[in-house]
Amino acid sequence: MFGEHASFIIPSYIISFIAILGMTVFIIAQHKSRKQELKRLEEAGIKRRAKHD
Amino acid sequence: MTTETIKPSIWAFANPTRFMGFANKAIPILAIITFILLAVGLWMSLNAPEDYQQGYTVLIMFIHVPAAWLAMMSYSVMSISAIGTIVWRHPLADVSLRSAAPLGAMFTILALATGSLWGKPMWGTWWEWDARMTSVLVLLIIYLGLIALAKAFDEPSEAALPLAVMTLTGFAIIPIIKFSVDWWNTLHQPASVSRFDRPAMGPEFLYPLLIMALAYMAIFFTLHMMSMRNEVLSRRIRTLKMQVARKPKTGEA
Repeated sequence: MFGEHASFIIPSYIISFIAILGMTVFIIAQHKSRKQELKRLEEAGIKRRAKHD
Repeated sequence: MTTETIKPSIWAFANPTRFMGFANKAIPILAIITFILLAVGLWMSLNAPEDYQQGYTVLIMFIHVPAAWLAMMSYSVMSISAIGTIVWRHPLADVSLRSAAPLGAMFTILALATGSLWGKPMWGTWWEWDARMTSVLVLLIIYLGLIALAKAFDEPSEAALPLAVMTLTGFAIIPIIKFSVDWWNTLHQPASVSRFDRPAMGPEFLYPLLIMALAYMAIFFTLHMMSMRNEVLSRRIRTLKMQVARKPKTGEA
């Protein structure tokens, strides 16, 4: 598959896949950790003063 | 002036709390659109015919060119955000700028890496200091510099203005990248898709390329919105911690 240049084509797709997936996983993990930290602070009775937040 | 006299403006919809509500609804929809575009784009790309000159290496084009376009588009989004910071001092503009920088750096690295993997079998070299490649490398250095600058300040609001000014200054690299193939002799060919006449590419290559470009754009907008949401949360956490730090301890004289 992909002829004599498969060793260039396949790594290109793998690198792109890993980079995009890695970035997505990192952003999701960051979101979870921040939500947890916010929850922990709010459970400790620390709440934001803003009216609508 | 009372609040009753203030007319509702577009800015009312751009406050961080409303943004969070909007983002929570929009992200799943954007993710589904991204997944569909990526699945269709990959299927079309991997089923494209062999090019008469490049053979199957033309398949690298379907991920290299969108990455290069997104490297420039991310910077353009950052520059528009920078104007939002400088002109209106809007906090969400700064949030947008900071959130786009790592994504832009990722697309630039992908453009350079996949370009190198395409260049070796086609040009016989992994790297050449030609105008297009060098200017894209400069773009990567600008991205890394801006990410470092954003992290150099403890207080995000203090970094907002210098970051916006530096971002706008760096925008000079975008037209240089775009027109480098016309201004200098480079290994890269002149524009094949964005031309005044018709694209210099057959539909069997053009359509997968455009779908992959749309997929990459959808990836950018999904991840950008997710990152912006994280940045807003991070600022809320910081505000709460500052509140605690400022509060006098019980029993203190």
